[in-house]
Amino acid sequence: MITLSYKGKNTFLEAVNKKSGSDVLECYQCGKCVSTCPVSNFMDFPPREIMQMIKLELKEETQMANSTWFCLTCSACSGRCPREINIPAVMEAVRHLAIEENFHPDSKQVKNIRKFHEIFLDMIKRYGRNYELRMMAEFNIRTRNLFKDMHLAPKALLKGKIPLGVKSVKSAKAIKKMYEMAEKLEQQNK
Amino acid sequence: MARVGVFVCFCGANIADFVDVPTVVEEAKKIREVKFAIDYKYMCSDPGQQMIRDAIVQHRLTSIVVAACSPRMHEKTFRKALSDAGMNPYLLEVANIREHSSWVHQKDKKAATEKAGDLVRMAVAKSIANEQLHEISVPVTKRALVIGGGIAGIQAALDIADARIPVTLVERSPSIGGRMAQLDETFPTLDCSQCILTPKMVDVASHPYIELIPYSEVIELNGYVGNYKAKIRKKASYVNFKTCTGCGACWQKCPVKVPNEYNCGIDTRKAIYTPFPQAVPNKPVIDAEHCTMLLKGKCGICAKVCEKGSIDYKMVDEVIEREIGAVVVATGYDLWDATPYEEYGVGRYKDIINSLEFERMVSANGPTGGVPVRPSDGKVPKTVVFIKCVGSRDKAKGIEFCSKICCMYTAKHAILLHHKVHDSRAYIFYMDIRAAGKGYEEFVNRAQVETGAVYLRGRVSKIYQKGDKLMVRGEDGQLGQEVEVEADLVVLATAVIPYKENPALARLLGISYDKYGYLSEAHPKLRPVETAKAGIFLAGCTQAPKDIPDTVAQASACAAKVCGLFAGDTMKKDPMISTVNNEFCSGCQNCVQVCPYQAIVTEEIPLGHGAKEMRTVAKINEGVCQGCGSCVAICRSMAITLAGFTDPQIINEIVAI
Repeated sequence: MITLSYKGKNTFLEAVNKKSGSDVLECYQCGKCVSTCPVSNFMDFPPREIMQMIKLELKEETQMANSTWFCLTCSACSGRCPREINIPAVMEAVRHLAIEENFHPDSKQVKNIRKFHEIFLDMIKRYGRNYELRMMAEFNIRTRNLFKDMHLAPKALLKGKIPLGVKSVKSAKAIKKMYEMAEKLEQQNK
Repeated sequence: MARVGVFVCFCGANIADFVDVPTVVEEAKKIREVKFAIDYKYMCSDPGQQMIRDAIVQHRLTSIVVAACSPRMHEKTFRKALSDAGMNPYLLEVANIREHSSWVHQKDKKAATEKAGDLVRMAVAKSIANEQLHEISVPVTKRALVIGGGIAGIQAALDIADARIPVTLVERSPSIGGRMAQLDETFPTLDCSQCILTPKMVDVASHPYIELIPYSEVIELNGYVGNYKAKIRKKASYVNFKTCTGCGACWQKCPVKVPNEYNCGIDTRKAIYTPFPQAVPNKPVIDAEHCTMLLKGKCGICAKVCEKGSIDYKMVDEVIEREIGAVVVATGYDLWDATPYEEYGVGRYKDIINSLEFERMVSANGPTGGVPVRPSDGKVPKTVVFIKCVGSRDKAKGIEFCSKICCMYTAKHAILLHHKVHDSRAYIFYMDIRAAGKGYEEFVNRAQVETGAVYLRGRVSKIYQKGDKLMVRGEDGQLGQEVEVEADLVVLATAVIPYKENPALARLLGISYDKYGYLSEAHPKLRPVETAKAGIFLAGCTQAPKDIPDTVAQASACAAKVCGLFAGDTMKKDPMISTVNNEFCSGCQNCVQVCPYQAIVTEEIPLGHGAKEMRTVAKINEGVCQGCGSCVAICRSMAITLAGFTDPQIINEIVAI
């Protein structure tokens, strides 16, 4: 049972809107995003319901749902959204708020997803691009699952899908700078 | 000796694919009276019509049979062809070999051809007995009666009067304006309702071609299209409108307080009152049910304070008569009483109101000065629940239709609530959002995005009290979870039902109405403005729930119909009507009973030539008779004949097969 009443402004909605640059109120619950989303089947609540939950200020339920973490930000939903809502940005906004407030699901899945994100960002920061081999190795080590997907390695190696070295990009320095600026901005905003 | 011409049409492939047209022509030629028979691809085309015209002259034909489509389609076309050739148009017979043969017997070409031959034989036989008939001219009284002075009646009256046709506008309450005068703002533009309505009300009052009769009712309508006679009862207002200046001293001093209908009973008015400040005419009337002077003979304060001496306690109802040619019915709507919703506690909880009450509260000239308040404690509500489809679309409550306007005005109420009370939120329980109209969908989105109104899909199951809150329980269909809203105020969008006296009015006018009391149009799609009775038209919510734009459009359509009716000094009418042979009429009056158009009355005639004794016979009003033939069938003395369908004609047809 959800109990609703007016208790001042919907601050959760406002925070999500501000972070995502989209207006969740625009959502008219058509469900096109749900049928578009490749992973909505694995979510606690599909994107349409997440929108409704934000509208109803069900903050706990929204942040504790695995949906925002499962979102691949593939943008298939927002590409098809008739109300022009940037749904991945909304999902990301909820995720960021959850990290800021340290209030998010504690499941192994979500933890692994967070680790994956961190490692990926670290790769970009170091090399200006993804270094697949190191990415995989680090992920397997940090998640303490050394032999995960190992059986695929020989085939992938033979096909050249996993280069052994990393080719540096021209603008690696610029990317590093971007990271620094972003971190600085984040500090300021806090 | 009759000389009949037969013209058989292929109708492209429509007839020719299933009926062997040349065979039908050969069959027709075998009939003794048929002097000419021919087929053609499209008989209704210009060359086809020319064939008929030429044949009439060449073969000196005395009647014509066209075997083609339904007479509904082209009877007029072919009649015109006959009269162009100098022949009486009613000597035409149409054998419908398309709808009655080729279309319905597509599997059996031989049988279809045989049937087409039979139909032609019948038509030929009938046409031999056809007589020359002539169109009837009926004089027209060029004055329209508009019943109801809401926006529909006002618009119809103004449009008719602008065509310089006199209009009598009858309104039952002391002022015109109707429901629209009670509204605050109107969707989807949020125009102030009064601001756009009152100029029209003033126009009505000052228009040289409009006779406004407020505080009165139509009590009788006799006659037929173009020639109606209406009796109008002017209720006693106890105020002489000619001398009254509308100063208002009387109602300021009146000591009797009565629930104010204009404000849905939220506040009170006096026993002598004008309904609202912008009333037209702005003259007070005395409510005879509550005035102590009229009830007990004591008080008389209003007469004392009136400087003009306009108060007249001895005034009585007056019946006036008007001769009119057409009627526009615009009696409007009421809101359904939601008391049967016991699960909502309607009537038990004070803080449940209907949407018109909410409308009055948020209206600047309303009883609360434009701020919604809880009727129980007068506090300004923060959480307001709007429930749509209360009564509407509820088979169990006997109302299966959609009231059409609730989705839009509820969105409007959500916006108005936000305008009047900034720190509040509207929760709207809905089943569907029906926003079909120009700018409507955008308006509903505006309510959601700008004001943050929360739409919850589901019907409310129950309302119960908890402290000073009303707990509204329903389902959020979007999340598939039960929700409960702690509401300060609950607003019900109750069903739109027709004016309660519609059935009585319909019987008085001789028109039909549906099971809800909405007056019936002649055809739901192609004649949405006319009724089945010629000369009576419908505008606004008297026919079905409608918003203001639709109502105004229909009212203007009524005006166009009335102006069309009055375009000439006389009206032309088909001569296929019944006549009574007084020699045979026994005066049983069975025909009076069966006539669906109330076209038959009785008259007294001398028993014999020069006799003093009188006897009763039926008399048919040729202006009203539509030629349905019911009276012919019921007449036991065979005294009634229907022109164009006489006994010899019908018997000929039967004998021919």
